Amino acid sequence: MTRINRRTLISASAVLVVAALTAATVPAQAAEVGVSNSEIKLGMTLPMTGTASPGYNKIPGAMKAYFDYLNANGGVNGRKITLKVEDDRYVPTEAVAKTNKLILQDKVMALISPLGTANNKAIAASVNPARRGVPVLFVNSGFSGFTDTKKYPTTYSILPSYVMEAKIMAEYIKDNFAGKTLGLLYQDDDFGTDALKGFTQAGITFAVKVPYASGSQGAAGVPAGWITKLSAAKPDVVILFGVSSATAAGLGTAAALKYAPQWILGSVGGDATTIKASGVPAGVLYNAIGASFAPATTDATDEYVKLFSDIYAKAVPGSAFDNNVLIGMNSAFVAAQALKAAGTNPTRKSLMAAIDAKGASFASAALIPLNYSKTSHVGYNGYWFGKYSPTGDLKPVDGKYVLYTTDSGSGAVVKSTWKRPAMPAKGLPN
Amino acid sequence: MKITSVKSRAIALLSTTALLATIVVASPAQAAAVGPTCDAKTPIQTCVGTTSDGAAYEIRVPSSFNGTVALWSHGLGVSWPVSAGLLPPFPNGIPVDPRANVTPFTVVGSTSSALASSILADGVAVMGSGFPVQGWNLDEAVKTNVELIGIFKKAFPTTKKVVAWGYSAGGGITQALAEQYPQLVDAVAIIDPVAPAPAMQKLLMDALWLFKTYFDPSMKLTGYSAGKAGDLEATADIGKMYTILASVGANISSGKWPATAGPSGKALEAAGVPSRSAMLLCALLVGMPVQSASYDNINGPEGALKLTFPLAVSPALAALENFGVALTSGLSMAREWDTKFGPNWYDNTKTNFAAQLSESDRDIYNAALSGNTVIDGLLGVLNPANPAAPRMVGEASAVAKAAGMYSTTGKITVPTIMMTGTNDPVPAASWIQQVSDKYEVQFAAEKAAAITAAKKSRVYVAPKNKLSVLWLKPPKNWTKFDAAGTPIAQSYVAGNGHALFTQKQFKFMIDSAIKAANTGYVASGGPVTTAARKAGLVKDKYSAYPYLKYYN
Repeated sequence: MTRINRRTLISASAVLVVAALTAATVPAQAAEVGVSNSEIKLGMTLPMTGTASPGYNKIPGAMKAYFDYLNANGGVNGRKITLKVEDDRYVPTEAVAKTNKLILQDKVMALISPLGTANNKAIAASVNPARRGVPVLFVNSGFSGFTDTKKYPTTYSILPSYVMEAKIMAEYIKDNFAGKTLGLLYQDDDFGTDALKGFTQAGITFAVKVPYASGSQGAAGVPAGWITKLSAAKPDVVILFGVSSATAAGLGTAAALKYAPQWILGSVGGDATTIKASGVPAGVLYNAIGASFAPATTDATDEYVKLFSDIYAKAVPGSAFDNNVLIGMNSAFVAAQALKAAGTNPTRKSLMAAIDAKGASFASAALIPLNYSKTSHVGYNGYWFGKYSPTGDLKPVDGKYVLYTTDSGSGAVVKSTWKRPAMPAKGLPN
Repeated sequence: MKITSVKSRAIALLSTTALLATIVVASPAQAAAVGPTCDAKTPIQTCVGTTSDGAAYEIRVPSSFNGTVALWSHGLGVSWPVSAGLLPPFPNGIPVDPRANVTPFTVVGSTSSALASSILADGVAVMGSGFPVQGWNLDEAVKTNVELIGIFKKAFPTTKKVVAWGYSAGGGITQALAEQYPQLVDAVAIIDPVAPAPAMQKLLMDALWLFKTYFDPSMKLTGYSAGKAGDLEATADIGKMYTILASVGANISSGKWPATAGPSGKALEAAGVPSRSAMLLCALLVGMPVQSASYDNINGPEGALKLTFPLAVSPALAALENFGVALTSGLSMAREWDTKFGPNWYDNTKTNFAAQLSESDRDIYNAALSGNTVIDGLLGVLNPANPAAPRMVGEASAVAKAAGMYSTTGKITVPTIMMTGTNDPVPAASWIQQVSDKYEVQFAAEKAAAITAAKKSRVYVAPKNKLSVLWLKPPKNWTKFDAAGTPIAQSYVAGNGHALFTQKQFKFMIDSAIKAANTGYVASGGPVTTAARKAGLVKDKYSAYPYLKYYN
């Protein structure tokens, strides 16, 4: 039995006062999981091996390159950032096991950039980072549901949602392909459901819609079936709204069958690195239309591209600076600002509070702002469109970025007038 | 999707024995208690007898008896016999067995008697009965246990503490004993417990109806004949279930449906829907875990199926394996309840099966379910308007009788230790999660009441923690393949299967309960967590296993 009387309380208060005074005279002691006096540990899961890994497996190297650069420049309030990477092979159950390891065994402060809609859902359902109070920073998924702060209170999106992307794509089509017949290939899960929601919201109709079950793109004969169905409907413009391996299979098979509509690629699938790794020449991307929220990776005039590509070239010599690398480094840069804003002794709570309070003003390479607030865990909310070069590089049409922005609901799609602020000195958190 | 290199012998259906191994059975009721008759041997004295309701019991008391007795409640046993030669997994049939158990019947890597010896060596007596009736017997078994406690105390008047424990249905019995007679037990250890009756009824009948609808409309499920004829009809249903499981397992790659599939199943097959997706959906709709003893949904064979196997195939194989463990008992109970309540005791006319697929499951297992279009097609079959999938229409008086059956509430009344494997196909994790969550609310209320009382008395008396939950979690991955890439059936992997624990784990449970009985609260903190870990168990205050569908 515990008894606490008035005298005990007074004594306890006195102890607390002494403790507080003592604390003021000694170096700050870290009191949060994953945070020591010299280090902050972050963890991420993504496919590093297996058929889903090409392209994505460059992200950890990119993030580490930025964190190493940051650490060499003093880290965050004197603490170095360490990134623990676990390979989930894009398998939800494995993502759960590896996330448990990161949280319970490696004791990371926060998860960062975990990849995949199904994987993040599995992590939320089984590992339950929300109940543990573990921040899930900048999930690598555009599923609109992850911005539901009641359901995923510790999760922060960073990519524009697939609903936004579809709405914006629809607007681009109205502006550029009015009156043309449309076809759609989409992944038959939440990824595709979000896209369908966006296209429906925008009032777009398709002459043919071809769903594919996640994972089926590798099965013999399946991509040929897509092309048969698409070509039979004779659409002028075909949207491939799937993962890179499906996009590669679709474009590769279409090229072999000499089927050549105007392709529009979703941002997830239009990745030359992955397509090349799938054995399909990047040339199949030539003249396809794609979307991005970050500057073109070939844009040497962009200060972020210049800095990040220099850092990456030194850290990972010989590896191409592509969109996965740019987005990975950008997420690391945003995370660094969040950790700095979380205070001299950051905690999981103060980290999330910092993003809620200041996240919308964090600097980033993107050409569209972040939208974090106490009520919003939405990251970016816009895209520009461009065309792929023969080498698979996405460049803005006529060399000019035209940004469209919207929300995941019924809001209109409008052209953005936002101007990205100058990069902080040396690309380090202010 | 065509998957060509996964061989068909992928399932360990015969692990059904794991559940039925927890069985003991019935003897006719008697008018008066007999015994106890004790052999007066040392160092262990054994006493046997029969309670007034006809249950055989056994008591073992060490010479070093320290005043504590552990009352064991065994798991579910069939209430009607399955004849020999009718079910391949049970060539000798499934008899009704009235023997008493004093400790768990099944102990992984050891024996029941070795476990009993280890408890007796501590000066603790053990006892248990065979119960007066088998099957779902919580109400009857509690009465027997109450009488047995009285018999023991009378025979051994130095008794100071009574600790009750049990697994499976015995876990439910132990929970019921604590809820109804908290003054008779000082602490309880509840292992892989069954959930309250309505939740178990729904899980089992939903699963069976889904099997009937998708795979074999000739399954009877209700309206069994009386006596031996009904036994044979129910046995035939169990046989049909095995045929379905074997067929889907044998055609896991091709997706071919069982020959017994009705019009809905055949239409789905014609539309290219693989039977494995339907099997997996059945599991997800009823809340059956989709990791199992042999299938982790992580590992894949080397080669082209390395990724496809865990994503698209393994969850369905796990569902098959878990159904194989759980549904023999389910059909046994369906027959028992049909007799007890009358035909058509279950009504699912208002069940919204589509709503029972969680948003998370739809996406996490999307590849294995073959995509949203297929999922919607499978769910469309279950629409009440589909004439090829007639719902079970309840008969009012029978439904009322079923609803009136005694149920536990999950309220914690005495110090309680709970343990389950996270992938128990019963599935106990779902119920324990709910008990744990309810107790968190209960404890917060007790704390608030203590604070309110302290404001008046100026003395704060902290409430004592009465619940500890221990999870047996599986390893990081465990599916194995032979050189040809065929998955290897495994009979035991920690955290999977039903009521499968080592002697160390059972001993940790009973020791923890005895300690709680002596202190009046359940200890927590580092040393306890460390001790649990040494037994392979973990405490996880952030666990979030999904509730049974009945509660959603």
